[in-house]
Amino acid sequence: MGKHKSPARYSAAGLAWRGLRNKSWPRVWREPELKSAYDVVVIGGGIHGLATAYYLASNHAITNVAVVDKAYLGSGGSGRNTAIVRSNYLTPEGVAFYDRSLDLYNTMSTDLNINVMFSERGHMTLAHTDSALRTMNWRAEVNKLQGIDSSVIAPDEIKKLSPSLDTSPNTRYPILGALYHPPGGTIRHDAVVWGYARAADAYGVDLHQKTEVLDILCEGGAGPNGKGAGGKVTGVRTNRGDIHAPVVVNCTAGWASTIASMAGVRLPITTHPLQAAVTEPVKTFLPTVIVSGSLHVYVSQTDRGELVFGASVDPVANYDMKGTLEFTEELAGHVLELMPGLSKMRLMRQWAGLCDMTPDYSPVMGPTPVDGFLVDVGWGTYGFKAGPVSGEQMAACIAHESMPDLIAPFVLSRFTDGTLVGEKGAAAVGH
Amino acid sequence: MLLVPCPNCGPRNASDMSYGGEPHSRPDPNTASPEQWRTYLYLRDNESGWITEKWYCSSGCRKHFKLERHTLTGELRNPPLPGNKTGGHK
Amino acid sequence: MTTRLPAQPNEVIDRSKPLAFTWNGKKMRGFEGDTITSAILANGEHIISRSMKYHRPRGVLTADFWDPNTSVQVGDEPNVRASHRALVAGMAVSAQNVWPSLKYDAKAANGLVGRFLTAGFYYKTFMKPAKMWPAYERVLARFAPGGKVDLDTPHGYHDKRYAHPDVVVAGGGPSGLAAAVEAARAGASVMLVEHEHDLGGHLRWGSNDDADALAGLVAEAESAGVEILTNSTVTGRYEDNWLAIAQRNHPIAVERLIKARAKVLVVAPGLIERPYVFAGNDLPGVMTSGAVRRLIAMYAIRPGNRAVVLTANESGDAAIDELERAGIEIVKVIDARTGATVTKASGSKSRVKAVTCSDGSIVDADLLVTATGWTAPTSLLNMSGDRPVYDPASARFFADSPPDNVLTTGGIAGDGNRDELISHGRSTGRLAAARAGVARHRIQAATTRATAVDGPEPAYPDDTRSPLGRDPHPELFRSTSHGMVDFSEDISSKDLFGAAAEGFDSVELLKRFTTATMGPSQGKLETVNTVAVLAEARGETLAEVGTTVWRPPYAPIALGALAGRVFEPVRVSSIQPWHEANGSTPILAGQWVRPEHYGAPQQEVRNTRANVGITDVTPLGKLDLQGPDVAKLLSQLYTNKWMQLAIGSVRYGIMCAEDGVVLDDGVTGRLGDEHYLMTTTSSGAGGVWNWIENWLQTEHPEWQVHVTPVTTGLTSINVAGPNSRELMSRLVGDDIDLDPDAFKYMQVRTGTIAGVADCVVWRIGFTGELSFEIHVPSGHGLHVWETLLGQGESLGVAPFGLEAQRIMRLEKGHFIVGQDTDGLSKAPTTGMIGLLKFDKDDWAGKPEVAWALEGDYPRIVAIQPTDPSIVPDEACQILREGTKDIVGRITSSRFSPTLDRAVCLGQVTPEFAGPDTTLTVQLVNGEQITARVMQHHAHFDPEGERLRG
Repeated sequence: MGKHKSPARYSAAGLAWRGLRNKSWPRVWREPELKSAYDVVVIGGGIHGLATAYYLASNHAITNVAVVDKAYLGSGGSGRNTAIVRSNYLTPEGVAFYDRSLDLYNTMSTDLNINVMFSERGHMTLAHTDSALRTMNWRAEVNKLQGIDSSVIAPDEIKKLSPSLDTSPNTRYPILGALYHPPGGTIRHDAVVWGYARAADAYGVDLHQKTEVLDILCEGGAGPNGKGAGGKVTGVRTNRGDIHAPVVVNCTAGWASTIASMAGVRLPITTHPLQAAVTEPVKTFLPTVIVSGSLHVYVSQTDRGELVFGASVDPVANYDMKGTLEFTEELAGHVLELMPGLSKMRLMRQWAGLCDMTPDYSPVMGPTPVDGFLVDVGWGTYGFKAGPVSGEQMAACIAHESMPDLIAPFVLSRFTDGTLVGEKGAAAVGH
Repeated sequence: MLLVPCPNCGPRNASDMSYGGEPHSRPDPNTASPEQWRTYLYLRDNESGWITEKWYCSSGCRKHFKLERHTLTGELRNPPLPGNKTGGHK
Repeated sequence: MTTRLPAQPNEVIDRSKPLAFTWNGKKMRGFEGDTITSAILANGEHIISRSMKYHRPRGVLTADFWDPNTSVQVGDEPNVRASHRALVAGMAVSAQNVWPSLKYDAKAANGLVGRFLTAGFYYKTFMKPAKMWPAYERVLARFAPGGKVDLDTPHGYHDKRYAHPDVVVAGGGPSGLAAAVEAARAGASVMLVEHEHDLGGHLRWGSNDDADALAGLVAEAESAGVEILTNSTVTGRYEDNWLAIAQRNHPIAVERLIKARAKVLVVAPGLIERPYVFAGNDLPGVMTSGAVRRLIAMYAIRPGNRAVVLTANESGDAAIDELERAGIEIVKVIDARTGATVTKASGSKSRVKAVTCSDGSIVDADLLVTATGWTAPTSLLNMSGDRPVYDPASARFFADSPPDNVLTTGGIAGDGNRDELISHGRSTGRLAAARAGVARHRIQAATTRATAVDGPEPAYPDDTRSPLGRDPHPELFRSTSHGMVDFSEDISSKDLFGAAAEGFDSVELLKRFTTATMGPSQGKLETVNTVAVLAEARGETLAEVGTTVWRPPYAPIALGALAGRVFEPVRVSSIQPWHEANGSTPILAGQWVRPEHYGAPQQEVRNTRANVGITDVTPLGKLDLQGPDVAKLLSQLYTNKWMQLAIGSVRYGIMCAEDGVVLDDGVTGRLGDEHYLMTTTSSGAGGVWNWIENWLQTEHPEWQVHVTPVTTGLTSINVAGPNSRELMSRLVGDDIDLDPDAFKYMQVRTGTIAGVADCVVWRIGFTGELSFEIHVPSGHGLHVWETLLGQGESLGVAPFGLEAQRIMRLEKGHFIVGQDTDGLSKAPTTGMIGLLKFDKDDWAGKPEVAWALEGDYPRIVAIQPTDPSIVPDEACQILREGTKDIVGRITSSRFSPTLDRAVCLGQVTPEFAGPDTTLTVQLVNGEQITARVMQHHAHFDPEGERLRG
């Protein structure tokens, strides 16, 4: 099956032609009717869900696919993250997985014909203690063996790369070194959502916004209504009607447990808000992404001049995304520890997203005890980085009905086998 | 910031407290199967709605206590607190 | 040309106090009371900035905090809101978004190609060639708006304040003022927070009667004891009325964060006047009615010479009167209530010259005043969980159902004349005070220890206020032409139509795609127009389209104010002054600063092994445990047995979490029948305390154990080396017998040391030497340390630091939790299999440790590089020979002065853990070396003869 239709190609020439003729662009995706049956229903219209649908269509010719989202596309973590990408993880399985994602990001603008503005500006994780430095060295050594450009650099080199950092030795949290990862950087997250949505739509995938899943339909399981272990999925019930489908994929990040419970599946997940904030714009001065695990902060400057800040997840489990004052206070304190010259910049907006945290800081992917019900959840604070590769691998998992090697370590059953993934050894901040 | 009602110290900022998450009963360590034990270790209800959870008055009296909180609205009940007519609060 | 008018009756400028300042280097003068823009306007200039994308000239639009194109650089401070910031003598003010100058901006050429730079254009181009994107990106980044950060900006002094007022009133207009007065009169403690420099809201630019009424209210507020904060903003409302207030008028702190836990919040921010969307609406000379009224009444500025007024409400009508009174010619009034409107403002690049009306007439004018409606600033309501509802009859949003402890009054609650607004405010204040009273009662009654609660809980007061009315207002958002919707982001209604047609047709998608409402005013001026244009594009109502959620902060707040004084103290032992005076190199270890060494760590090791060394180990976590059930607790926490530990003995133990992962380790000694002292790792002290309390309170509340943390209460000194017993003998009192048969290895004694009573001494051997660890009441720590040095001079005593400690423990093969173990290391990995007592009924993590033993857990082993001179870096990976397969890593590595060779600990898979296995270690430089797995963890004295001596 080929492409359903060819979308109007984005290009400078197209911009000029339409500009001259005062002609607007065609719709970026259709508003299709909700069909009563699909081969695959993907729950969650974020990067993971859309990428899964796109790769099902593009790599496996499975196009009778619906993506449903209770709000608008990219309304969850995909549009709330701080858009940082990197592959300098701690474990070989983590490195291989995220590096594939970085590969897909690298060619995404041309693959999807939308400029996702990948800014390969380099990523620095600062170490303020000798134990942090030891962890950086550990990551660098593992990274090098996997062919990842990653090394530990000294304060003078850090200062050269980012002059706004205070690298003097007499601060409360002296900068002793940094794990430097030149291929890391930032990407315009919304463009990734729209790129996958537009490309999936072009293959005939139906994107249904404002379509909320109220229940998952099952039969044969041990629990009530045929749900739970041993059963199989038959479809979903939405606010717009029932959809029959033999395969249902849960790509809902923060709401992963809620959706899974509809199929009678319990997950090793707690949901915590992750907050972020942005300053008023100033002329660009910060060329790299800066992360400090000890100070629980990461910062980058957008091309619009705003500083984008993030921190570690809130300690209290919550589905509420209102945000806290304490987050902004601690954040500002720690940013000024690193860059004292910014005290007159102003915080303009704070927001939060929901993170589905797992015990071993690694995702849960693939089959569940309910046949046909798959998960792509547990993304914690690293879901954005993993979006493309997750979609690609989940699509392969669905098409071949088996776990691809790249995501085999992330299977749900590891929590009963006790074979957890070793990323927990890495720094507390996952960015 | 949430006001958390410690039974000894009264309502205090949540930053004075440590969060303990969902309570779960501990299986007998001598007879538990790996599946039972790991269910205790890892699996969570993680409900969006009313939950019972553990708190620890770590900067105050060091009391461990439970309360009921709505994870979507932030309301507390049992014990209720000051804000609203109904005694719940946001 | 804008100029200063003659004295106005209620002007806020003080003409007796001229202030000199510069604008783009040009010398100018204003008066005290001026804002930066009113002073610039008074000097005849009206272009304040260039717009973000098209670099169009922009001037004053709203003349208040939200004025979208009036951000300027003042010295090292970027993004100063010039229509709000008070002029100060000597200010160096410059325009921000210009190149090379405000008047001749080269980037204005973007305006010519604007039709190609539609919203989101950058998503559609610059994709090929891919390698060119970084170059494109640099060009785009050059268009970043905003001022310039001076990286040498000093961290200003910002303190913070905590407040616990009964009632906080956000907004000091007539309603807010009246609410504050009545709440205070009813006995509530009240903070009144006004965003602008003076109280009064719109009364400040009203009639003389308004001015009199305002003066009366202010006097009432002062006499009622209301705390008044002007030029301050409630920037955030968080859970349970936890409020962030940015105070900008503090005499010392440039900007101060007040954190207030209010029992009731009264939201009274008034209304924000909405700009009107039409062609040319961003030309300098187009202003809101509020702007011209402020400029004339408060700053005596003549905003133009020939005015057209588009009015749909009383504010527009009042602006006509004000303009006439100031002698400005009104060339045309367009009454929007009759359906007439403006379709276009045209002019030179820098100023309105003509206005086209909907009747087709074209009028020459240099000032166009619009009064087309209001935006309710519902930010604090959003933060309270409310989702305001649109009322088409009044053309604005109103609160839906805020929590009971959040009340609204004033313009956000409805319309009314001055007396009605004040009356509503007063009844709101009374309600707020009454509800605060109930909250106060509940807080007092909330603790089990509450004794002095005044009577039964008062009845919760219902809201019996007579509501304010709602004046009808035409829905006026956009004329028949396209104009700017977002002035800070340069987004026009045409951009929004285009984006909606492309499918970005929900308000959130539209916002994200176009960036409308994402700029510095964060939607205060733009949100409703954005929603209205989208509704128009979709053929729906505003209510159907819905609105975006306004997020904190309400107004931007300085990072310095949020950070406050960064207060993260370090911990030091009582001996630290001696360390500093004696050449120690400090090292930061967790919260502690401690001596890393005193110049030559290798020599410190040699001296300790040859003579005697002393080291400060105060950061060791120490917990005093007392009660009949301590042994049960220890048995529950440690993997080994504790029920038979004799008084006077110490024992080493490992603690696991419930998943079997090693949590902490240390020695615990039994000092008396029901009295134990536990030591933990330095970084684990707090966690272990919490862990103990958790077991005691949730699993075994029947156990009687009292826990007291004594880490800093005791100064700890380790005395190690062959001469340590002799040295100790010179210090101990008669109450401690040091005879090897009386005080054996792994025993504890309490007694007098250097004249200090109540010391604890135990014989343990982390360094592998005969050693005594002394715990001294901290007040005497330095004394004992100095006495040890003095008495030990003839024995060759010398201090040693953390580095020598680490070398000696590595020589002995002692692992460190968190360094040689990691987040997945279960107890068997440590090799301490003998300490895992499965015949004990229960201990934390027991099942997982048992299952781990059956599997292929990684092993900690001692490793020695074949070439004794090569010291691999910690974290070097161990590979399967000839491959890149990781089979382990070096976790600790040092050069051993005792053995004159490199010694290591590492974690390896079982296959590589056997003694004499040859390992391949990859160094940081990529080179590979071989190393050997040793028989014992201890590289030195594996039989432990020295420490038992």
